[in-house]
Amino acid sequence: MKTEDRFDLPQGTLDLLIMRVVALGPIHGYAIAQRIQQMSREALQVQQGSLYPALHRLEYKKLLTSNWQPSETGREAKFYELTAKGRAHLRAETENWKRLTDVVGLILKGTLEGIS
Amino acid sequence: MSWLQRLFARRRMERDLDKEIRFHVESQVADKVRSGISEIEARRLTRLEFGGTEQIKEDCRESRGTLWFESLVQDVRYGLRQLRKSPGFAFIAILSLTLGIGANTAIFTLLNAILLRPLPVQNPSELLLFGDGQAQGSTSSIPDGSTRLFSYSLFHDFRQKDTSFSGIAAVDSSQFATKASIGGAAYQTTHVDLVSGSYFSVLGVPAFLGRTIGESDDGADGAGPVAVASYSWFQRQFNGDPSALGKTIRIQSHDYTLVGVARPGFYGYTVDQSTDLWIPLSMEKAFSRPGWNGLGDKFFQSLYLIGRLKPGVTATQASAETNLLFKQILRSYLGSQPPQKHLDDIAHASIQLNPGGRGVSYLRYAFSVPLEILMAIVALVLLIACANIANMLLARGVARTREVAVRMALGASHRRIVLQLLTESLLLAFLGAAAGVALAWKASVVLLSMATPGPDPVPLNLTPDMAVLGFTLGAALVTALLFGMLPAFRAAGLEFTPALKDGRGSSSSTTRGALARSLIVGQIALSVVLLVVAGLFVRSLINLSDVETGFDKHNVLVFSLDSSTANLPHGTPEEIRSVQLQEQIEDRVQNLPGVKADGFAFFTFNQGAWTDEVLFLGIPRTQSNGGEVSFNITGKGYFTTMGIQLVAGRLFNAQDTQMSNKVAVINETMARRFFPNGSAIGRRFGIGETPDHPGEKEVIGVVKDAKYSSLTEGTLMAAYFPCTQNPGFYGNFAVRYAPGANRQEIVSRTRRAIAEINSNILVNNVGSLEEQVDGSIATQSLVARLSSFFGIIAVFLGCIGIYGVLSYSVARRTSEFGVRLALGARSHMLLWMILRECILLLALGLAIGVPVALSSTRILKSLLYELSPLDPTAISIAIAAVSVMTIAAAWLPARRATKIDPMQALRTE
Repeated sequence: MKTEDRFDLPQGTLDLLIMRVVALGPIHGYAIAQRIQQMSREALQVQQGSLYPALHRLEYKKLLTSNWQPSETGREAKFYELTAKGRAHLRAETENWKRLTDVVGLILKGTLEGIS
Repeated sequence: MSWLQRLFARRRMERDLDKEIRFHVESQVADKVRSGISEIEARRLTRLEFGGTEQIKEDCRESRGTLWFESLVQDVRYGLRQLRKSPGFAFIAILSLTLGIGANTAIFTLLNAILLRPLPVQNPSELLLFGDGQAQGSTSSIPDGSTRLFSYSLFHDFRQKDTSFSGIAAVDSSQFATKASIGGAAYQTTHVDLVSGSYFSVLGVPAFLGRTIGESDDGADGAGPVAVASYSWFQRQFNGDPSALGKTIRIQSHDYTLVGVARPGFYGYTVDQSTDLWIPLSMEKAFSRPGWNGLGDKFFQSLYLIGRLKPGVTATQASAETNLLFKQILRSYLGSQPPQKHLDDIAHASIQLNPGGRGVSYLRYAFSVPLEILMAIVALVLLIACANIANMLLARGVARTREVAVRMALGASHRRIVLQLLTESLLLAFLGAAAGVALAWKASVVLLSMATPGPDPVPLNLTPDMAVLGFTLGAALVTALLFGMLPAFRAAGLEFTPALKDGRGSSSSTTRGALARSLIVGQIALSVVLLVVAGLFVRSLINLSDVETGFDKHNVLVFSLDSSTANLPHGTPEEIRSVQLQEQIEDRVQNLPGVKADGFAFFTFNQGAWTDEVLFLGIPRTQSNGGEVSFNITGKGYFTTMGIQLVAGRLFNAQDTQMSNKVAVINETMARRFFPNGSAIGRRFGIGETPDHPGEKEVIGVVKDAKYSSLTEGTLMAAYFPCTQNPGFYGNFAVRYAPGANRQEIVSRTRRAIAEINSNILVNNVGSLEEQVDGSIATQSLVARLSSFFGIIAVFLGCIGIYGVLSYSVARRTSEFGVRLALGARSHMLLWMILRECILLLALGLAIGVPVALSSTRILKSLLYELSPLDPTAISIAIAAVSVMTIAAAWLPARRATKIDPMQALRTE
């Protein structure tokens, strides 16, 4: 079995990751992409093409808010922040995710033992 | 930020989006450069990792949720730019859509006003009309079938017993155009409806000012000298001044007090008449009309009844109760020992309850089938216009292949392209619809006045309402989809790589050609159908205008006189004075220069009828003499004026006085039916199935047959009685003038002569007999004219289509023709090659269109006068016209092909 050191994100999890990163403080899109990569110890390759549509979607749903600020290089960048609604959403979704992975993990553990 | 704000902040958001994406790319490039990669390489890698920025931007826009609207605005702008770029196409497309949608809207406006629109009353769906409302006037015969008119007694007795209706209203079926004077001012023509006290409350029409007519006004005979005005009459007469309430209005020597004004927009129960004043039925006697002895007579039936259903009662329950009560009440009117015949009659009497929320309408009766046919015709014309525009769009689609390919290469999706192209189609349709509504507004008014010629316009509100606008919107949408869908899908479905390379879309031209050609075949087929229909209507109209009327319609003026303001002694022994006045007028006008003959008449032509059966003394009732006879009351000079020839005996003369023997002149048909073998002169008859006065009238003369009520009527029996022995209202005064005499002068001299004899006798209006005859077939002539007009438009649209397709095909094949010519082909062979294609299309179109026409014209049968719906002449003319026009349209591009210079043609490729 060949192990991949980088894998693509399952559907729907990108939003969750973005919100988790944004929860740490105002941050622009490029930094979000980098941060996700770092935090996953380079294992996750964020499809850059889907990052911005996701950000805009979250902003449209009023989970994120944005404003223009000078970035670390001095250039103006669009910084995203969680709204109160976004914070609540993140909490609930994280809870859901944990429950889901626990249950899926429990089942898969048994299966793997069965296969091997 | 709401989506609306987003929309308006679009420009800023676009800038921000661009800036955000650029920031990302620049940061990524900078990072890579820092890690030691050359800038060029860094940019290349970033582009690879990041993907197409335009695609990402589009995704971002889409995730904002307002994309549909933004792209709509964008597409509309783009579409407008495209249309501006090809004004010729835009002009033809919008023009044909304006005509197509406008014609549909115009006909629908009439259809809506006449057939569909409910009255402005409360809950119109609860109203039921007793009978079908398709009779007007009065009858005194005992009901023996489906009944349409009812007596005042029946109205009162019925409403006391019924349990199905929360209320019943009655209104006289005839509206009275009479003369009214406000506060002693000059008399003016005023339209009066006689209504029951329950009328306004049952219909649910409130007063705008003052009060409406109530039950207390409609009590005893003469109890309610009050009037309620319509809002528009009130505005016209009093400029909306509320102090008008309480004013006195004098109508036929009776005074009425104006007590109220009805709600604006309500013009009475009859849709195509507008009422000025409503007066209680209790005042009926005051409307002095000879032979009109209204309220007391249990069988004087002149009213429409309208009931409002109680909540929870179904129409079926109401109908059962109504018919039961009707028979019971009728039976009680017949007395204790009625003749068996009368009992049999009422056993057959019934009342059909009809939906009453739309009021009654004479136009609806006469005009609904023609309107539905016209609606179908204009829908077909619109379909042909759609086919034409679809064809033009297909051609444009090919021309725009390159544009579409470029946009797709830049990341536009198929869906996006289709939507954009459809937006362009919608734009065309809406521009056409907007112009169409404006056109229809005017056109429907013109159509209505063409259908109902006469001095008084039919007061039908034709302002576009929600129903009309909704219809037009729907028509525009359907139209746009019809002509836009196919070309849009074709354009977006192109293989764009080859298209980019050669930019002319050669790969799709064959399928496009097949599509275009089937559209042409469809157009030819529809054109044939429309032309056959038009031909049938025109030939039927010709038959109608060739009908032998039995009178000479030329050089006759008909004056409509009103003696109601002259205070003549109608209904008294003195009433012969009014006949003497008539005779004075006849004598005076007879002597005017240019006048050849004149005479009063109850009816001239197409003015309704007074009919009954007659019985001759000593002649048994037979199948052939049992029919209704049309009666007329005329002056001495009437027959000469109309040009109706005497066959036997004599006409009325000065010896026929009030005191002398009662006489009649009858027509040939009546003479023949009663006396197949002998002379009718000197024989005596009475009026009625079983006459009250048997043998009262003596036949003194027989005249030739004529048409009386309409050109389409069969051969009718007719009898004329002299004015002197049947004093009545003045009605019509016919004047025959010498050919070439100045008509205007005759009119003014006649008016002066009448005024000199009695200035209170008013001339309502003057028309010619010819106008009356033409007016009687106005609907038929309108339908014939409109169907011809639309047929011609259909053929023209078809020709434009053929011309376009063949021109395009010739242009594409220029090099091929060049080669052929260079190789020695003769020009007439090329001509034939192209014409052959056109003839094939024509043959296919005819093969479809002619059978469709043959099988569908049957529905026109009721509208055709003495003409088979399969009339070979009409069908041949239609086929010939379409063939000639199609080949003519193909001739031009074919000629162009033969003029190709081979060298020139070969060089262009």
